[in-house]
Amino acid sequence: MITAIRRTPPLPLAALAFTVAGLITLPLLYVSYLALSSDFSVWRRLWETRIPELLSNTASLAAGVAAGSLVLGVTLAWLIVRFDFFGRRVWEWALILPLAMPTYVLAYVYTHLLGSGGPVEQAWQALVGPEGRVLSAQSYAGATLVMTLDTFPFVYLLSRAALLNLNVSFEEVARACGVSRLSTLFRVTLPLMRPAIVAGLSLVILYVVSDFGAVSLLRYQTLTYAVYQQITGRYDQAAASVLSLLLVLFALIFLVTERWFRQRSRFYQTTGPYRAPERKPCGPLGTVLVTAYLALVFGCAFAIPALLLIQWSVASVAQGTLDARFVGFIWNSALLSGLAATFGVLVGTPLAYLANRWPSRLNVLCLQAAYAGYVLPGPVGALALLVLFSHLAPFWYGSVMILIIAYIVHFLPAGLQSMEPALQQVAPNLEEVGRSLGLGLFRTIQKVTLPLVRNGFIAAWVLMFLQSIKELPATLLLRPVGFDTLAVRVWLEASEEYYQLAAPSALLIVLLTLPALMLLVSKDWRAA
Amino acid sequence: MVPDLKSPEQCRKPDEAVAKGRPNEEASSIVLELRKVTCAYEAERPAISDISLCARKGEILCLLGPSGCGKTTTLRVIAGFEPVSGGEVYLEDQMVSAAGLLVPTEQRRVGMVFQEYALFPHLRVAENIAFGLRHLSADQRTTQVHAMLAMTGLIGFERRYPHELSGGQQQRVALARALAQKPVILLLDEPFSNLDPDMTGKMRQDLHDLLRRTNTTAILVTHDHDEAFAMADRIAVLNNGCLEQFDSPEAIYHMPSTPFVADFVGQADFIPGVVENGKVVTEIGEFPNQVGYQGGAKVVVMIRPDDIHVVPAENCTARILARQFRGSENLYTIGLPSGHVVHSSEVSTNVYPVGTRVALKVIATHTVLFEQDKIQHQVAISPPSTR
Repeated sequence: MITAIRRTPPLPLAALAFTVAGLITLPLLYVSYLALSSDFSVWRRLWETRIPELLSNTASLAAGVAAGSLVLGVTLAWLIVRFDFFGRRVWEWALILPLAMPTYVLAYVYTHLLGSGGPVEQAWQALVGPEGRVLSAQSYAGATLVMTLDTFPFVYLLSRAALLNLNVSFEEVARACGVSRLSTLFRVTLPLMRPAIVAGLSLVILYVVSDFGAVSLLRYQTLTYAVYQQITGRYDQAAASVLSLLLVLFALIFLVTERWFRQRSRFYQTTGPYRAPERKPCGPLGTVLVTAYLALVFGCAFAIPALLLIQWSVASVAQGTLDARFVGFIWNSALLSGLAATFGVLVGTPLAYLANRWPSRLNVLCLQAAYAGYVLPGPVGALALLVLFSHLAPFWYGSVMILIIAYIVHFLPAGLQSMEPALQQVAPNLEEVGRSLGLGLFRTIQKVTLPLVRNGFIAAWVLMFLQSIKELPATLLLRPVGFDTLAVRVWLEASEEYYQLAAPSALLIVLLTLPALMLLVSKDWRAA
Repeated sequence: MVPDLKSPEQCRKPDEAVAKGRPNEEASSIVLELRKVTCAYEAERPAISDISLCARKGEILCLLGPSGCGKTTTLRVIAGFEPVSGGEVYLEDQMVSAAGLLVPTEQRRVGMVFQEYALFPHLRVAENIAFGLRHLSADQRTTQVHAMLAMTGLIGFERRYPHELSGGQQQRVALARALAQKPVILLLDEPFSNLDPDMTGKMRQDLHDLLRRTNTTAILVTHDHDEAFAMADRIAVLNNGCLEQFDSPEAIYHMPSTPFVADFVGQADFIPGVVENGKVVTEIGEFPNQVGYQGGAKVVVMIRPDDIHVVPAENCTARILARQFRGSENLYTIGLPSGHVVHSSEVSTNVYPVGTRVALKVIATHTVLFEQDKIQHQVAISPPSTR
C-alpha cells in the first residue's frame, strides 16, 4: 500500500475521525460498564435461572445451523464448480437468492407451512392418514431448518470462491505421488478449502447468534431474544446488560475466528500460472439427480416462500391493504434508511480515509473500532443506546435520531467494507498532484479523490440503505410511538398470524434487497 | 549424415555421443517410449502429432522449443494427465496410453515437479515429502523422508511451511517429494523459470549432480537452449507440435537437421550458394558439398559465429556494421555487399570499430546445408537492406 509522504494527518480530519470512533464504541463500552457494575445478585440470579438454558439453546442452535449449512454449502459449491450440467449457470446465480429473505420473513412463512392445518401437514396426512404430524416450526428443529436455509449461501459463496481459486496442479501433484482421486479430495482439496469454510461458518454462527427476527417468531429462547424480553417485558436494564455482555463475548470469539481464517487463506494462493480445474460433464442420470437436489434446496429456501408471498400479496391487495397507511410505512422505511445511509457514509469517510492514507496504529485502531458494530446484535445495540440516551440526553429519547444512530452503529462495518477498497485504489500521487497545482486538502478531496471513489461509496450507501430497511430489533425497541417501518409491520402482523396482511410488506423488503445482493456479489463474481 | 528421426529402432541403438560421463556403452533398458503419439484437444488442430522418442534408464532428456510448441503437452501425456488420440506410450515396456486407453497417473509411478512447485501449503516440509508414502510403515516413512532431506540438503527444514521457504528451497522440496516414491521417471516442467537468474546456474548443476547420483531417468521441459545444453544427454526439439530433431546437444548445435533447429539453438546465419564442381560456392568462400546435392542446385549454408574469423583488410568489400560486447567475446555483425549479414565471434581483447573493412575466413569443420526453398518457409532471411 502506498502511503502519503506527509507524516501527520491534518488536525481537523484527525479530530473528526477520533470523535466518530469514540462515539461508535461508546455504546459497547457503556453496556460493558453497566453489566460489570451491576449488583452481584443480578448475576447470580441470572446464572441460576436463565443463563445455562439460554447458553445451551444458543450454542445448540449455532451448532445445528453450522452443521446444516456446512453440508449444504460445501456440497452445492462442489457440484456447481466441478461438474457441468444443463442449467448450471442459472443455478450458480440462483443459490445466492436465499440471502435476500430476511430471517423473520422465512420464519413466518414456515410457521404457516409447517403449522397445524398447513399445506405440509395436509400433504403428509394424505399419505399416512389423519393422525400424521409434521415437525412444528416453533421448535429446535424448526429454528434450525429456517436458519440453515437462510444462511447456507454464506458457506456456499466462500466455498465456491475457494474452489474456483484452487490451482489444479495441487491435485495433479497428488496424483503423481500415487494418491487416488478420492484420497486427494480428503487430503488435498478439502484442507485447502478449510480457511474459506471456517470463515463461512464463523459468519453463519455470528448471524445465528445475533439474530432476533426468526427466533422471536419461532419462540426459541436464545440470548438475543432474552435481552429483548428483559428490555421490553421487565424493564430490567441491569439483567439485560449482563446478558448482552455474554452475547458480545460470544460474538467476538467468532468474529476473531473469521478474520484469522481469512488471513490464513492468503498463504494458500499459488504463484505462477493458474490453471482452472476441469469440469466433468454429467450424464442424463447425473443431471436429473443434481437438478433434483438443487431444486429441493432452492425451492425450500427461496422459491416456495417467494411464491407464497406473491400469492398472499395479491390476495391482500385485492382486499385493499395498499392504503395511505401502507404508503406511510414505506415512507418511514425509506426516510430512516436513507438518512442512516447518508450519515453513515459521511461518518465513515474520515475514518476510512485516515486509516488508508496515514496507517498509524492509532488510526487503524479507530477504523477497527468502527467494526465494533458487528458484535452488537440488534437488541444489544438498542439497549446500549437506550441506556446512554436516557442517562445523558433524555430529550432525544423517543426521537428518530436515536434510531438512526443505532442503524449507523450497526451497519457502518458493511459500508466501510465497500469504502475501504475504493479508497485503496486511489493512489496518493493523484492527490499530491492536486496539491502541487494549488488546491488545499479538502478541495483536493472534492475534485480528485471523490470522483474516483464515487462507485465504491455509492455501493456503500446502497448496502447500508438496504440493511437498514431489513433491520428489526433496534427498530422495535427504539422507534417513536406510531412510527412503524415495513420490517416492523411484517413482524407485528406475523406474530399475530395475519400472514396475508404481512405479505405485501415482506415481499417489498425482499424485492428491495435483491439489488443489494447483486451488487454485493457482482464485484467478485467471476473469481477465475 | 542426418539421422532418420522417425523410426523407433533408431532410438534403441546405443549412441556414442550419449556416453557423457558413463563408462559403459551397452544399451541400458528403455524406460519410456513414445510411438507416433498424437494428442488433440480438437480434431483439426492437434497439440502434438507423430512424436516418437525414447528414454533409457539414467538418461536426462530435454524437450526444447518455443512457447506453444507442445512440449508441456508431451510431458502431460507421459504423466497421464492428457489422453492420446493416436500412437502409444510405453513405460517400462507396459502400454500406458493409447487411443482408448489411459492408465491413471496414480498408477504410473511418475514423479512430477511443476513450474510453480505446487507444494501443499497446509502441510509442513516433512509431510509434503511423505505425501505419497502412505503405503509404507511409519518407520520406513521417516527413514525415507530423512534420506530425501539429506539428499537435497534440507536437513533442519522438516517443520517449516512452504510459505516460509525461498524459491530455491521450495524447488528442492518439490524434487524431494517427487523422488521419495522412487519413480520410474521424473518429469520437470520448466523447473528453473521461477528462480532468480543468478541462482539458476548453481541450481542446474545441483540438479544434474543429484540426478546422476541417483541414476534417475528424467525429462525436462524448457524453452532455454542453454539449459538444455547444460543438462541433457539428448534433446528433442519441438515446433508446432512436431518433433524436429532428437539428438545429442552437440549434434543439435553443429548438425541441425532443419533450419528451425539451427536458428533456435544459437545464432545462425544462412548464406545462399550454388553447387558447382562438387563444391558449394557462396560469396564468402567455398564449402564442401557434404550432403551430395546435384550440380546447379540452389542451397543455403548455415554459419555460426564461431565458424567465421574476421581480419581487417583495406581492399575487401565486407564491412563491420555493429559490435556487441559480451564479456568474453565481441559479436560483430558484418554486412556483405549482396546485403546479407553474417555474425562473427572474436575474443574481446581485439576491438574493431564499426565501419572497418574486413576479410572473412571460414573455419568451419563441417557444412550444414539446406535446400533454398525450405528456408523460405522456416526461417526469415535477413532482408538485404542495411541495418
